[in-house]
Amino acid sequence: MTLPFLVILPLFGAFSMPIVSLLGKKLKEYWAVIISGATFAVAAKVFYTVWRNNEILLYTLGSDNPIGRGVNFPIRIVWEVDLFGALLALTITFVGFLAIVYSLGYMKHDTGLEKYYTLVLVLELGMLGIVITGDIFNFYVFLEIMSIASYALVAFRNDTWEGIEAGIKYMFVGSLASSFILLGIALLYGQYGTLTMSYLAIKIAENPTLVAKVALAFLIGGLLFKSGAVPVHMWLADAHPAAPSSISAMLDAHPAAPSSISAMLSGLVIKAGGVYAIARIIFSIFNPGLHTYLRTFNAPAINMDVIGWVIVFFACLTLLVGNAMAVVQTDMKRLFAFSSVGQIGYILLGIGIGVLAYGTRAGELALAGAIYHIVNHALIKALLFLVAGVVIHEAGTKNLNELSGLAKRMPLTTFFFIIGAAAIIGLPPLNGFASKWIIYESSAMYNPILAAIAVVGTVFSLAAYTKVLFTFLGKESERVRGSKEPEKSMLLPMLILVVAIIVMGLFPWQISDKIMIPAAKMLEQLNGEYILALLKFIGGA
Amino acid sequence: MNIVYSTIGLIAIYLYVSAASLLWEGMDRKLVARMQRRMGPPILQPFYDFLKLVSKESIIPRDANKLFEIAPVLALASSIALLAYTPLGFEPLLATKGDVIVFIYLLGLIAFIRVIGAVSSGSPYAQIGAQREIIMLASREVPMMLGLFAILWRLSKLGVEKPFSLGTFYQYNIWEIGTPLAVVGTFVLLLVFLLWLASEIEVGYFNIPEAETEVAEGPMAEYSGRHLALFKLSNALKEFASASLVVAIFFPWGISGYIGLTGIAAMVLDLVFHTLKVFAVLFVSMSVFRAITGRLRITQAVGMFWSRILPMSLIGVLLLVIDVLGVIA
Repeated sequence: MTLPFLVILPLFGAFSMPIVSLLGKKLKEYWAVIISGATFAVAAKVFYTVWRNNEILLYTLGSDNPIGRGVNFPIRIVWEVDLFGALLALTITFVGFLAIVYSLGYMKHDTGLEKYYTLVLVLELGMLGIVITGDIFNFYVFLEIMSIASYALVAFRNDTWEGIEAGIKYMFVGSLASSFILLGIALLYGQYGTLTMSYLAIKIAENPTLVAKVALAFLIGGLLFKSGAVPVHMWLADAHPAAPSSISAMLDAHPAAPSSISAMLSGLVIKAGGVYAIARIIFSIFNPGLHTYLRTFNAPAINMDVIGWVIVFFACLTLLVGNAMAVVQTDMKRLFAFSSVGQIGYILLGIGIGVLAYGTRAGELALAGAIYHIVNHALIKALLFLVAGVVIHEAGTKNLNELSGLAKRMPLTTFFFIIGAAAIIGLPPLNGFASKWIIYESSAMYNPILAAIAVVGTVFSLAAYTKVLFTFLGKESERVRGSKEPEKSMLLPMLILVVAIIVMGLFPWQISDKIMIPAAKMLEQLNGEYILALLKFIGGA
Repeated sequence: MNIVYSTIGLIAIYLYVSAASLLWEGMDRKLVARMQRRMGPPILQPFYDFLKLVSKESIIPRDANKLFEIAPVLALASSIALLAYTPLGFEPLLATKGDVIVFIYLLGLIAFIRVIGAVSSGSPYAQIGAQREIIMLASREVPMMLGLFAILWRLSKLGVEKPFSLGTFYQYNIWEIGTPLAVVGTFVLLLVFLLWLASEIEVGYFNIPEAETEVAEGPMAEYSGRHLALFKLSNALKEFASASLVVAIFFPWGISGYIGLTGIAAMVLDLVFHTLKVFAVLFVSMSVFRAITGRLRITQAVGMFWSRILPMSLIGVLLLVIDVLGVIA
């Protein structure tokens, strides 16, 4: 069983970091690279296992059977990994690994690096925990691990005012959102007396009370915050510019964070802690199919269409506001951060339509498109934030008005940017095309107005990235004179991401059929597979 | 084996279209000269121009970056790729359902690559030309796409094999529907497409980005030698492909069927006939338009697109839609 190592490895890496850093100056960096690389290997193994067997992995902590002795309900913490979770684990470890490699060069001039690498590993650990857990309180714990690590990383450069400001903003509102989620979990526990997600699904279906609805509202509200949906996206736009670029790729508190951190914020944190959790809670705990089934028998059930429309409403708002705000930015990382908000809109739209059109082909396609876009956007946005990190590192500014003509001094970085920008707009030979296409197609099948809104969002995003393109081309400005290509440890992660984007772009429909559609089916669980994976232990042990 | 045939076909089409489109440039210059009571250059002048440009030294400005040199190659590559999706009297080589989007995308991409090349040159003239090109690009594609999608949607109702493919024009054409509303709508759209074609190849009213006398050739200001030659060639190919689209939509009839030819011979004959039709369309939309109209200002041109041509396209589309709905018998 390789699954536990997904959490053991980064935990071990993070806790051993203070000791390792005593041993040598350079050692801690290589240690972080080794640990995250090994985690990536484990995630690849887990993903391959789940994909090949096409069944849900169930792991019980402390025993081989989640059901308590003498009782017929689960009493232990279980981890349930379906293809969606495994796919996200793979993406998280991949981008996390690249962000750490990138940090070798990017964070060279900062101090306190042993804390930095510890926090990055803890961040990765939190996200991995979220995507593999099948226990809702366990989920909350991992969510908090992830959130606290990202607060600290956003404010990592605590000698800059914007780092501190973004960190405080993110922490205050983030804690509030977390407490909403905790309140939702507490309500569910008080009503149903269990914390296991799949068992909770059964309990809620048996007796859907008002408390369950209130809890669902709290959970969705808190998680929409964590995913940076409009109107609660403001933390994201501040945090990313402040964060180190490598983390923005992971979280999305972009402008303030170091670029390595921005890369992780944007690429991963808003997906694992936000949209993944929304999809998991909706489809695994409050399954639309289950409740529609109950309604056909006039049994009390929760009307999941309401939830679907709420999500679609916020999705449309998010993709319009996020992309439109990106057009008017003059700060490069801020622009990317708003673009991340916009892209989250597409993912939410896919999930929302997946709920509304549950059980039809449009719903399944929308869900597959959303999952596909999560992966694609993680790769693309990580690349873009790493590029922004290089620009800041070399030219010393991220103001688009001061920068112009970077292409002459940094041809490779410019090439990487062009690929990333083309991919995020969704130009055909690159990976962004297929996922956006699936989302357009399924939303047009469900309701053409939604598709029109999605296309308008893309037009804004095209305008925003064209603007940045002109920064890279054009006549060289004074600011850019002294800049040059960054060192290899920063170029290499970008190169790997570009290769991944292009290769994924060449086989869009194969990937969609082989990975994304099965993942959507598993998440949709038309026959309650997620629940049955647990139920088969009852009576069998 | 299919891939090999397509490759050979694409190379053959590329060679043929290059020759035909350059030949048309020569004829166009001759015709316009005659309209202005001049002798004009020999018909083969564009070939001489091309050869001379290729042999000349290409000067790279000091402020230019790598993309300045790459853009002409990319533009030509996109134009050649465009030929694989262009209806040329027979189904496009790579015809598949939905290929109309690839066609529009590649057509837009060529213009965008020109812009990238212009911006990369670092010259303010080229920058201004690039801005104008982008503005024109954004305005002219909307009425065209609206009309094209409406016609393809209408044809897909007739039960075609590959809906939304440019190959469907050779299965059914829009005149076949024959109801009065459809005919009127199609005439309106034909006018839209002729205007669109004029703006796509930037002549007459719409010769704005290149405006020789105002911004010194605009996007092409800094290009010389073989880089310019590549751009000229890709422009000629794009011209031919855009005109082919208009011909395929509105005049798709071939003559091989009447003579009873099949196989390769039929394809060649249809290709030649198609070329003649393209020349006829270009004569109207390019030569005549160029000879009798002057350039508009950019604001006027954009205003014309959004306040005249787009409503015109909407009317044509609505007529087609009403015809399908059968509200008016």
